[in-house]
Amino acid sequence: MIRYVGTRLWQSALTLILASLVVFIGVRQLPGDPALAMAGEEATPERVEAIREMLGLNESLASQYFTFVGNLLRGDFGESTRTGTPVTELIATTLPVTLWLSAYAIVVAVVVGILFGVIAERFRGRWPEWLANGFALVGLSVPNFWLGILAILYLAVTLGWFPASGYVDVASDPLRGLYYLTLPAIILGTGLAAVIMRQTRASMIETMSTDYVRTARAKGLGRGRVLMRYGLRNSLIVVVTIVGLQLGGLISGAVVTERIFALPGFGKLTLDAVFTRDYPVIQAVVLIITVSYIVINLAVDILYSVVNPKIRVGGAN
Amino acid sequence: MPPTPFTPPAPPETRSRSPFKLAGVFASAVAVALAMTACQPLQALEPAPEREEVTTASLDGKTIVEGGDLVMALSAEPDRLDPTTSSSLYTRYVMQTMCQKLYDIDASGELIPQLATELPEVSEDGLTITIPVRQDAVFADGAEFNAEAVRQTLDRHLNLEGSSRASELGPITSIEATDEYTVEITYETPFAPLTAALADRAGMMLSPQALDAAGENFGDSPVCVGPFKFVDRVPQTSISVERDPLYYDAENVHLDTITYRIITDANIRAANLRSGDVHVADTISPQDIDALIQEDGIGILQVGSLGYQGLTINLGNTDGVGEPVGTIDTPLAQEAAVRMALSMSIDREALVNTVFNSWYQPACSPISPESPFTSELSEACPPFDPEGAVALLEEAGIETPYEIEMQVSNAPDTLRFAQALQAAVSEEGAFSLTIVPVEYSTLLDVQSRGDFEMLQLGWSGRVDPHGNMFNFLSTGGGNNYSGYSVDEVDTLLREAAQATDDDERAELYGQVVEKIQEDNPLIYLYRVRSLTAYTTNIAGVETFADGVVHLSNVAFIENEGAQP
Repeated sequence: MIRYVGTRLWQSALTLILASLVVFIGVRQLPGDPALAMAGEEATPERVEAIREMLGLNESLASQYFTFVGNLLRGDFGESTRTGTPVTELIATTLPVTLWLSAYAIVVAVVVGILFGVIAERFRGRWPEWLANGFALVGLSVPNFWLGILAILYLAVTLGWFPASGYVDVASDPLRGLYYLTLPAIILGTGLAAVIMRQTRASMIETMSTDYVRTARAKGLGRGRVLMRYGLRNSLIVVVTIVGLQLGGLISGAVVTERIFALPGFGKLTLDAVFTRDYPVIQAVVLIITVSYIVINLAVDILYSVVNPKIRVGGAN
Repeated sequence: MPPTPFTPPAPPETRSRSPFKLAGVFASAVAVALAMTACQPLQALEPAPEREEVTTASLDGKTIVEGGDLVMALSAEPDRLDPTTSSSLYTRYVMQTMCQKLYDIDASGELIPQLATELPEVSEDGLTITIPVRQDAVFADGAEFNAEAVRQTLDRHLNLEGSSRASELGPITSIEATDEYTVEITYETPFAPLTAALADRAGMMLSPQALDAAGENFGDSPVCVGPFKFVDRVPQTSISVERDPLYYDAENVHLDTITYRIITDANIRAANLRSGDVHVADTISPQDIDALIQEDGIGILQVGSLGYQGLTINLGNTDGVGEPVGTIDTPLAQEAAVRMALSMSIDREALVNTVFNSWYQPACSPISPESPFTSELSEACPPFDPEGAVALLEEAGIETPYEIEMQVSNAPDTLRFAQALQAAVSEEGAFSLTIVPVEYSTLLDVQSRGDFEMLQLGWSGRVDPHGNMFNFLSTGGGNNYSGYSVDEVDTLLREAAQATDDDERAELYGQVVEKIQEDNPLIYLYRVRSLTAYTTNIAGVETFADGVVHLSNVAFIENEGAQP
């Protein structure tokens, strides 16, 4: 077991080194020059040269890479070339926004998706099912950016129910924070809600036609009780699997939602960094995502090996 | 001849329509609508309506409600809030409320003293400039504002590594505080654009105390003389300032705080304004403005820009800007007649009116008609003559349509304009443009490296024509992306920068425009209009020709809408 964990750790470290190299080189292969992007329209050769010097872009790639890795090992991601803010501070302020938004969107998606899924099964062939199916169709086919703009126009501008944009820290003011996040969470969760609704409906139709449900009904259990106790409960397994699978998609979908609602999240940070060729920020963001994938995979692999000893290296021994 | 296909009889009306048929009808309607819009040619337009400049939402006659928190939506995130190094125009919006300048411009575009008490006094030989400064101003941290503080700030602008201001200040040899409230600047050669430079970021005065404490990190928490002082910045989100009680004219400051919120999408900015979440929004799109004007509770400020949008043609930028010019062996780069033909085949007015709903202005020169340096020569425009353009190309022995690759930014408005331009210049068969949309940062890079045949980009504009022409048109200029190099133009531009008489300068710049319109290294196309929207429960918002939105004297007013 120790040998297996050791091997996996070593492999993860190697992956991390390779990832840092790929990120470092990949960022520098982007068309466009960060010094020029920073100098903007006032770029003169002297000014661009001064910025290159300041950012250390005149040094060789190898030297830049070792400086980058050396700083990384000290936990220093550098400073944003655009605003001069330390990258760690940027990440610390933006990551919670995206996590709150995603978590809220999941709650919205699960509640709405399951509710519509149950309605669709309960009223098969009648108008509530068509309504639920219509919702699923819209949720899957309408892009977030369009839905977001419509929501702002009707729910924020015309009706004034929600703020059109802005963010209040949920941790320091939970009620106002969630109020500000409601509209973005609904928009971000719509696609996922549609998927959950379809899967819940399909899974419940399947469950409700099984023998044990028929037996339960035959024994006199009411339809509603069977639906909730057996049908829904079994369908939840599918829902949990889908939420797990869609989590990555949700966080990437947050890029668009954050932009529409001017939310200072991780997605917006990434997008702005790419547009302004903010190398330190792009590098840090990509590395953090890479590290989280590596850590999750490592944890899952180790857990598998705990559960199933055959998976361990040389398990046959 | 193929047999006539069988046509089934029409179904009886009583029969219910299948959803497929309904879908078919809908699809056909959509297809017809799409086809009709796709084939619509560029229409000849009625003349554009006269747009009056509206620079101020006046406080006169309004009942002011003291206090309140104003929110302004900014269309882009400012860079570091350091006037010495800043290169983002949006930084000026925020700094304007915190960092006053030695000079400013007024509604008519004229330079007026701000922290200086008079316009600069220039010596006979033009080499010594004397500037008297205010005696009643104090920095937000309590440090005294005086000539020594001015000297220290200008010295930093000139000498800090990475300064964006050094070139704007010209060939300075020394800066001295001759007494407590008088500064003397000495030049190697006369430099007329100084006053205009001091009406921009180079003229923003920084607290010596804060400079000593923060050094190159001054931009993290800037301290200046101004109606408001810096509170905090949440990256990507907002910048907040609050009223500065030490400000010398504090009684005319009405708001408690101003929050600048970054909302990059034009539609979302407009939506936030409608919902009342923000009170002022800059850079409203010409696509949104007509609808906004109709709405109750929203006012619009509009002012023509000092900048321009144009086509830069690569004549000799082979090794990057600032490097010696090389040779590009194409008729477009070699023959002025081809470029002249291109300029003649562009109906600027029709294009601008069509694409920008008549909100922007056609432009043929880098000098805005609103500039005090405008002249008959600088306002002249090459004729729109597509037949003449074809004739010019034939005369030069050029096969038509002449193909040109044009790189443009992938912003929607720019792309729309590029497509209209492509259609317009191909109408008489003179030119065939291939549009290559490129993301903005990449386009800057392409422009700087000289990796283009022709590209469309603009310049935001400066008060003094020197800032709009010298670097772009003189040999070796830092923004001479075209690689244009003509001795006559170099001489005229140098003389114009050194002349101290404004009429003489206007005349010299007019001559440069005349020459540029013959050579066409840059074909000027249009000037944007700074469109600022505000909710009518506030007043006192101003925007002048430099495009900066001034909020220093804004106040909430009674009986005109929402609460502050």
